[in-house]
Amino acid sequence: MKRRLRALLRGDADEISAWLAEPGIRWDATCILVILLGSGLYGFTVGLWRAPLQSLYTALKFPLLILLTCAGNALLNGILAQLLGFGLSFRQTSRAILMSFALTGLILGALSPVSLFVLYNTPPLSSNATVLGHSITLLTHVFFIACAGIIANRRLYRFLEKVSDHRRTALTVLFSWLGGNFLLGSQLAWILRPFIGSPGLAIEFLREDPLRGNFYEAVGRALRHLFF
Amino acid sequence: MTTPNTPSTPAPLPKRDRFQFEPMNGETSPLLLLETLLKHPGRIIHELHSDRRPTLALWSLGLALAGMAIYGVVVGSLSGGMQLWIAPAKLALGTLLSMLICLPSLYIFTCLGGIDVRIRTVAGALFASVCLSALLLIGFAPVAWIFSQSTDSVAFMGGLHLLFWIIGLLFGLRLIGGLSRFRGATESARLKTWALIFFAVCLQMTTTLRPIVGRSEHFLPGEKKFFLAHWAESLGGKK
Repeated sequence: MKRRLRALLRGDADEISAWLAEPGIRWDATCILVILLGSGLYGFTVGLWRAPLQSLYTALKFPLLILLTCAGNALLNGILAQLLGFGLSFRQTSRAILMSFALTGLILGALSPVSLFVLYNTPPLSSNATVLGHSITLLTHVFFIACAGIIANRRLYRFLEKVSDHRRTALTVLFSWLGGNFLLGSQLAWILRPFIGSPGLAIEFLREDPLRGNFYEAVGRALRHLFF
Repeated sequence: MTTPNTPSTPAPLPKRDRFQFEPMNGETSPLLLLETLLKHPGRIIHELHSDRRPTLALWSLGLALAGMAIYGVVVGSLSGGMQLWIAPAKLALGTLLSMLICLPSLYIFTCLGGIDVRIRTVAGALFASVCLSALLLIGFAPVAWIFSQSTDSVAFMGGLHLLFWIIGLLFGLRLIGGLSRFRGATESARLKTWALIFFAVCLQMTTTLRPIVGRSEHFLPGEKKFFLAHWAESLGGKK
């Protein structure tokens, strides 16, 4: 497994493309395990600023968010790959995306100590600078998660380019997957909130009415408040 | 935990031109049709032209309507209740009517483009392209369902369904473009014009059969309305 994970981190497209055609679910299970451990560990550090209980909740919800996004979009991503002339089956598509998320999990897991260090230096909830502490926590995690996402997607692109032999096809497939995953992932993240935990609100696994409202309406409202 | 090392020779993955006009293999079945639509759409055009599979067009039509009805359940899930069967029925009916309304113009425009085809072939290509759109909509269904459970806004959900439908339609219309390429035609302006007509008819159909996303006391509206006016009212909060 170590050898494979190293190859995944290196982005060794030759080796990775061979795994796609492998029968069985062993490699899929490994990727899921890596997502659970890596993003779970990182999730733990995300919620720690608010309270230990929140960190436990976030450690569970972070991998759940990734796996639900993968599962919810598996059919769509498979259809898009085939429609765009990419020769991957539904299973191979899901496996490629799972590998990309596993890479994200590895990066986030590796960033957990840094996240803890940032937390150590952030004004705590009990201090007078609670708002500042919340903002630092939020921006740090947005930055780390964005970095992990960009690196993993660059790797995925290189791999897609290798498999398709066409830069344009690889780019189109990548952006169509990203679009679908962003659309579903952002809404799932909204449903699974809170991750950091607002200082003024109670600690809970899900908000009282998790299905009320959606991410895009909230963004629209925020923009209206900002500009009108 | 160790994983046995596999030979590091990459498995060859298929690389192909999407519109290879060649015969389809195997007995005609829904699964084969869907797989061919996704992977080898050129084969569908070839079979429709050669007329070797008379049931292909009918299967395409059936699957297109079934696919639209399945997505309609997700559309109706915003309002729930009676809308759970009204929305699928209206979507399937609206799709069928739009296709029937636009089929003659598609045939004429195809012929005007210098393509020698029978109306049966054109009808088959239209049904197959809508079938492909419906298939993509089913792929979007989990995303649409998640949003429909999280909002009460008919305008937001209407916009989201519209976005998904446009994406599906764009992929579906590529098959119609393939029909002209099969006969060696290079001029596609007429087919693009037809695509705009089809697009407008479908949009108007959603207003003619309203409400599809929201709920109403009546199955069909009493008032005639242009779709842009209906959208403006919906966005303004008027039902």
